[in-house]
Amino acid sequence: MNDTLARQLPAFIVDRVDFGIFAVDADMKLLLWNRFMQFHSGRKAEEVIVRNLFECFPDLPRKWLEKKFKGVFLLKNFSFTSWEQRPYLLRFGHDRPVTGGTEFMHQDCTFMPLIGASGEVEAVCVTLFDVTDTSLMHRELERAMAALKESANRDGLTGVFNRRHLEERLAEEFARYKRYGDRFSFLLFDLDRFKSVNDRYGHLAGDAVLREAAARVSACVRKMDVFGRYGGEEFALLLPATDLPSALIVAEKVRRLIGEQPIDWEGRPIAVTASVGVNTVRPDIPSYEALIGEADRALYDAKEQGRNRSVVFKPEPG
Amino acid sequence: MNEDLCLSEDQRDALQEVANIGMGQAGSALARLLDTFVALSVPRIQLVRVTELGKALADMVGSSCPVTAVRQSFQCDIRGEAIVIYGQEGTNQLWDLMGYEPADEPDAAAERELLVDVANVLVGACICNVFEQLGRSLSFSRPTVIGENVPVEYLMQPSALPWKVALLVEVNFSLRDRQFTSHLLTLMPEDSIRQMKRALDHFLASL
Amino acid sequence: MPLPVLVVDDSAMARKMLIKSLPASWDVDISQAENGIQALEQYRAGKAAVMFLDLTMPDMDGYQVLETLRREELNTFVIVVSADLQPKAQERVRALGAIAFVTKPVTPEKLLPILKEYGLYE
Repeated sequence: MNDTLARQLPAFIVDRVDFGIFAVDADMKLLLWNRFMQFHSGRKAEEVIVRNLFECFPDLPRKWLEKKFKGVFLLKNFSFTSWEQRPYLLRFGHDRPVTGGTEFMHQDCTFMPLIGASGEVEAVCVTLFDVTDTSLMHRELERAMAALKESANRDGLTGVFNRRHLEERLAEEFARYKRYGDRFSFLLFDLDRFKSVNDRYGHLAGDAVLREAAARVSACVRKMDVFGRYGGEEFALLLPATDLPSALIVAEKVRRLIGEQPIDWEGRPIAVTASVGVNTVRPDIPSYEALIGEADRALYDAKEQGRNRSVVFKPEPG
Repeated sequence: MNEDLCLSEDQRDALQEVANIGMGQAGSALARLLDTFVALSVPRIQLVRVTELGKALADMVGSSCPVTAVRQSFQCDIRGEAIVIYGQEGTNQLWDLMGYEPADEPDAAAERELLVDVANVLVGACICNVFEQLGRSLSFSRPTVIGENVPVEYLMQPSALPWKVALLVEVNFSLRDRQFTSHLLTLMPEDSIRQMKRALDHFLASL
Repeated sequence: MPLPVLVVDDSAMARKMLIKSLPASWDVDISQAENGIQALEQYRAGKAAVMFLDLTMPDMDGYQVLETLRREELNTFVIVVSADLQPKAQERVRALGAIAFVTKPVTPEKLLPILKEYGLYE
């Protein structure tokens, strides 16, 4: 390669690379505006060179960006912007006219100080990368992760929350009660004599009964409630901002929804009932586990008293 | 600790002096940038074993409060990472100083941008000045948030770190009239310590 | 007779840098001190017609040296040399009687005008 060509090479590369390069001096006058910038901004180099950046592009967040440049000039320091926090510096269209997915080009920028012979920063060079693809992929990934996390919280058979998630939410709710005094109640219920359903109709029927019972309860809970399968034929319902009388009303509603109409399985009606243990939070309950334990005691009492009923846990007096 | 990693008395003296001068310049540049008085501590220089890092961090930050931290790497022939650890207040008091419009809704992304912006400024101001005296200009990576409201020992897991000994330079910042404190840690692993020793020898010989 | 000059800094390197920045043809007798206590001893031994004084030092810092010189009405040209660039530090040492404030890193270009201004070096 001859010398002339070698000398032309840097300027050629700066102009033709597939990312934006521009530079400003201390007065924010543009010194360089490469082809990428021209193409995406619709402004030719000769229109913007030696003009003030902010006059050419009044949409720029001036106060913040001036401070950023000032930092580079004063501190002789690199600086950055990232699409994750600020999607774009200059509002450019993207090159996904067909596949789309976003309105504007997402950008990562790097600000570099150009130190002159004086030892001071004489200009700042900015590189601007189109990271739209990366950001869209990232967004997809986040969506997938959220879905995955959601599915990790779900019970495979019934689609309602699983025990792990129930306990997490219960622990959070309990902590909130301890900190701010936000009351809540907790129901633990199970299907009466479920073993006999399995024995008589088979496990497939048992599964169908569990799914239907879960669906009936799901249909009636509020958005803020957390309903899940606690294990086997046992379910739990966490009721934020609910006192004991209201919780008892909900318990009865749940019991009726499950028991009033027999569950249809391949044309055969299967009658099931539910027993419910009801508990509400009190200052003397030491932990959320203790709260579950008490609800379980109330559920046991409901069974002892003949099933198909709701029983409220009663703390020992004193 | 390997003998060859320890700094000689002259090297330590030179690094301390270069660091003092660098931080003085940084303080003045930051004061001009932020239009407020910036107090910097005298930099503390020490060699730490990876096993002692947790204790060093806890001593430095001094409290059991959760912290937020941003890391950034820098390189020339000497490479290292800088970590800015913010106290409880984070960067809440710095919106206006960094040129953010009050109208900007401080959502989570904006808050993170401010954390990163401030860290970048602190790191750049301090480290550039120190290395410039040693005749080196640095390149920096994009700063990233490595922990938000986490216990300080979560920031670095010793078992996952690829070095045994690092050179730690530590400075504390505070601003007059603002609730803001932060700690800047610069860590350079073994190879960079050797490079740094060479750079200091060269610098001393040039005097 | 050479002029007795004292260089006070806890860093050996900083003392070396300063001495290297003094005019080569300046007829001086240079002594060194690592802290304020040593500096005052040297001063009393007549080694400091001119004193280059760092501010941050263990065992008596630069401010304390200035205060002592002032209190005891001692007479010397003190040029403070410091990495602290904030204007507050400058005001304070001027008020304590220092004739000049030089920021580190010290260079001949920073020192020369001061030495000339006070007729210490022609």
